[in-house]
Amino acid sequence: MNRNYIFLAIVMIMLAGGLLLLPERHNYQQIKPEKLMWDITQTSRFVTTDQVAKRIIEGDPTLELIDIRPVKDFEAFSLTNAISIPIDSLMSPNYQDYLGIEDMKVVFYGNDDIKADQAWVIAKRMGYNSIYVMEGGLNCWIKTIIRPVEPKESDPLEDFDLYQFRMGASAYFTGAKVEAPDATKTGVKVVRRKKGAAVAGGC
Amino acid sequence: MGPLIPQEIITGQWDFVIALLIGASFGFILEASGFSSSRNIAGVFYGYNFVVLRVFFTAMIVAMVGLMYFSYFGWIDINLVFVLPTYLNSMLLGGFIMGLGFVIGGFCPGTSYTAVAIGKIDGIFFAVGTFIGIFIFAEAFPLFENFYTANDLGPITIGEMFGVSNDIVAFVFTIIAIVAFYVTWLIEKRVRKNMTEYKFE
Repeated sequence: MNRNYIFLAIVMIMLAGGLLLLPERHNYQQIKPEKLMWDITQTSRFVTTDQVAKRIIEGDPTLELIDIRPVKDFEAFSLTNAISIPIDSLMSPNYQDYLGIEDMKVVFYGNDDIKADQAWVIAKRMGYNSIYVMEGGLNCWIKTIIRPVEPKESDPLEDFDLYQFRMGASAYFTGAKVEAPDATKTGVKVVRRKKGAAVAGGC
Repeated sequence: MGPLIPQEIITGQWDFVIALLIGASFGFILEASGFSSSRNIAGVFYGYNFVVLRVFFTAMIVAMVGLMYFSYFGWIDINLVFVLPTYLNSMLLGGFIMGLGFVIGGFCPGTSYTAVAIGKIDGIFFAVGTFIGIFIFAEAFPLFENFYTANDLGPITIGEMFGVSNDIVAFVFTIIAIVAFYVTWLIEKRVRKNMTEYKFE
């Protein structure tokens, strides 16, 4: 038999045997501090309320909204199709199935974005990707989507487009009647006919 | 670190590029190992050539032990590696049919393409046959779907099934492989004694 084969067989047995002798070791998948710091300093994790509203209206199946407020608040008001995961139970195994679904974009939101941002850091630390924070939280949602403020006349055209979108979104989420803006209204002049002079005289 | 795509180190679009590279290297190794010759493949059944067993067993133990070390050093998260689900019934029957195909045709699907690549006519026939087989299988699938999915054990590994660690499985298989190399070498030696086309060293 070729000597090389014997040598290779011995090497293979030694390598395989070495596996048995290695001490137990667990490799936890954790994000490196440098990477976490880099991710935290980036603002790309923030999504605006307009982006969220647009995706909800379009029925985007990849959007997963997670409400990190207490359950009581969630029951009082929440965004369409949102899931309630209070921030203190984010690490609970019961909720892990909601995070890290392939191709899903998880968006955390709270009353503002501070708690949601904390939830984002925890989730990032747990190794999840494709996670975002709704900028400004529900307070911003009310301000921008539910009760949008009409831009001034001197504002750029984009602001008016955005305002139009927000008005539409507001109607979508609140079920309110859409009021046409004043500019589109044209005054209707009611022309009253003068009454004719009473028939005078007679035969 | 790895696996690269599930960890989002590289995007899923790289799938095809990696598949192409692995496929080309695999084909090259098959051809270099003499797998495009149906004599080498059918030889396993007649006992005069066990190169198939040796090549595949070597690939298996090297990959297995290598993967265990990668996992130990934290280069790969073994829990994210895709494990094919086990359908016991269909795998047993499939193995039997494949073995039959091996000895009758003298190729396995992969090696038939290496044979096509070097212009072997029997390889071309075999490759065309596999496509006809795939077509018939796909069309007739509803007829035997229940059998196909019966005894579904899920993505189970040998270690999980017997409740032992993967390291022990890797070690045991390495020993089995090396014993098999030696035994097949003895068998080859005996069978080839009366064969003039083989000069055994």
